[in-house]
Amino acid sequence: MKMTNKPSSQLMRDIVINSIAKAAEKDKDILFISADLGAKALDGFRRDLPNQFIHAGISEQNMVDLASGLALSGKKVFLYAMAPFITARCFEQLKCVIASMGLPVTLISVGVGLGYDHATLTHFTPEDIACMRSLNGIEVLTPSDGESAEAIIEQAIAVPKFRYIRLDRQGQPELYHGNFRISQGLGFGHIREGKEIVIIACGALLQKVLAAQKILKSDGINIGIIDLFRVKPINTLELGSLLRAYRCILTVEEQLLDGGMSSAVLEMLADQNILMPVKRLGMKDGFSVVNGNRDNLHEFYGIDLENIVESARELVRD
Amino acid sequence: MNINDLENKALWLRQELFEMIIKQKKGHIPSCYSCVEVMVALYYGGIVNIKHRYPEDPDRDRVVVSKGHAAMVQYPILADFNFFPKSELLKFTQPGGLLGMYADYRIPGIEGISGSLGHGIGMGAGFAIAARHDGKKYKSYIILGDGECYEGSIWEGAMFAAHHELDNLVAIVDRNALCILGETEELLSLGDLENKWRSFGWETFTVDGHSFNELLPAFDKIREVVGKPSVIIANTIKGKGISFMEGKSEWHNKMPDTEQLAQARSELGLL
Repeated sequence: MKMTNKPSSQLMRDIVINSIAKAAEKDKDILFISADLGAKALDGFRRDLPNQFIHAGISEQNMVDLASGLALSGKKVFLYAMAPFITARCFEQLKCVIASMGLPVTLISVGVGLGYDHATLTHFTPEDIACMRSLNGIEVLTPSDGESAEAIIEQAIAVPKFRYIRLDRQGQPELYHGNFRISQGLGFGHIREGKEIVIIACGALLQKVLAAQKILKSDGINIGIIDLFRVKPINTLELGSLLRAYRCILTVEEQLLDGGMSSAVLEMLADQNILMPVKRLGMKDGFSVVNGNRDNLHEFYGIDLENIVESARELVRD
Repeated sequence: MNINDLENKALWLRQELFEMIIKQKKGHIPSCYSCVEVMVALYYGGIVNIKHRYPEDPDRDRVVVSKGHAAMVQYPILADFNFFPKSELLKFTQPGGLLGMYADYRIPGIEGISGSLGHGIGMGAGFAIAARHDGKKYKSYIILGDGECYEGSIWEGAMFAAHHELDNLVAIVDRNALCILGETEELLSLGDLENKWRSFGWETFTVDGHSFNELLPAFDKIREVVGKPSVIIANTIKGKGISFMEGKSEWHNKMPDTEQLAQARSELGLL
């Protein structure tokens, strides 16, 4: 089989940090704060812009409190840490001193979902979408490739507001091929058009969905794929109108089903009075530790390729 | 203002707070009263640079009452500085009013939201770093509760501020030794707070928090401190000024009955 989706050697974190560094050279009010997470690009940032880099220590709570004081003083603050620690670990601070005051702080997390595969439960974020989308006024974004990561961070630099940007730990294959800007305003990308069934996912899992698409195509099932890269605010009208063109929906996520991406989709459907069959694949209550790589984890938690393909077949059959 | 004037101002603040809180039966009298002298020293003792009618002055010193249950202690002062009409004090916590139980950053003169404990040092460090970054001389004064020092984020912030040598950051710990359920040392010992702050790299002072003769010289000495943040441990009495509330944790959120109201008014010179 032709290898079309080769992982990018460039990590999204490096793309994002390089964009911020470029902007920070011209704008001295841009400050980048890390809770002890590095990146190749960050080495350059620290060397070239030492006055605009702050090491917060492994103190995410203080990092967020600090960001509030800086943002209230007119600074454009970018906070950077591993996904579990910039979300649940400092949720109180995000709620009280960022969300409550509507401060323009950008959170950049690395390793969302099951990205830190071998590190297991403490490093997973099966709840980060549920947590973060519950915050007042936040925008929650999941780039799926380098191009979308760059476009999303450029928007965050140009129009600062409270945003949570979810980066995968691994480099992702090119997905948009120069077309992300068309989708950016919509908040989702209709990356494959299909009939009857549409699969909604975001981030790294889209590669698995693309693989499923190929298998299903050989069965004569032509699925559509939506990259829901902006899960909050969800574009209710545009997404609703697109979904009406399909008969059923399959959602796939590296999140606990309670409150994650698929919950946002269900809320949107209910709010729009759209009644159609939906099947959700994601992590379920009671999930436990398993050792292995991300593919192994997907199998264990029921979000593997085989399960996606089988679920799609079932939905179409029913 | 001389000491006598400051003492009169402290009495005025207690009176204003009393009427404001009693009118709506909302608020925390004892928590406010333990830090009245600290607040009066800051605003009227020539410590903070804050100009009347100019809350948005970019060079103003920042004052944050991080122990949010005492947020209202700032309201009469801010009205006195003509940051908003005095009539707002009568609408405290009421629909259409500006002033809430906890500080809202949209109130002129309030620097950040409060109510949840443990955010003030980090936020203050943010102000202090921004000041340095912008080449500004303003200082940030953060009033902490001693019970607030149970929050771990306070100590994360303390470590950070010391590392960055934030001599433009000043904390005042309102050491009234009480939290809601009783005495701090009995419930969960805070121990030697001055030593704890010192060991984190802060310049420390311990004073009688109701004595202007001790507070003002401490603030003066802080002006001379270079290369590290400073903290004043202000030993205070929760409820100071109303005898039956003094040192009694049960008054944290309680309102006086008719008889007690009369006694309180008498002690505050309101009769």
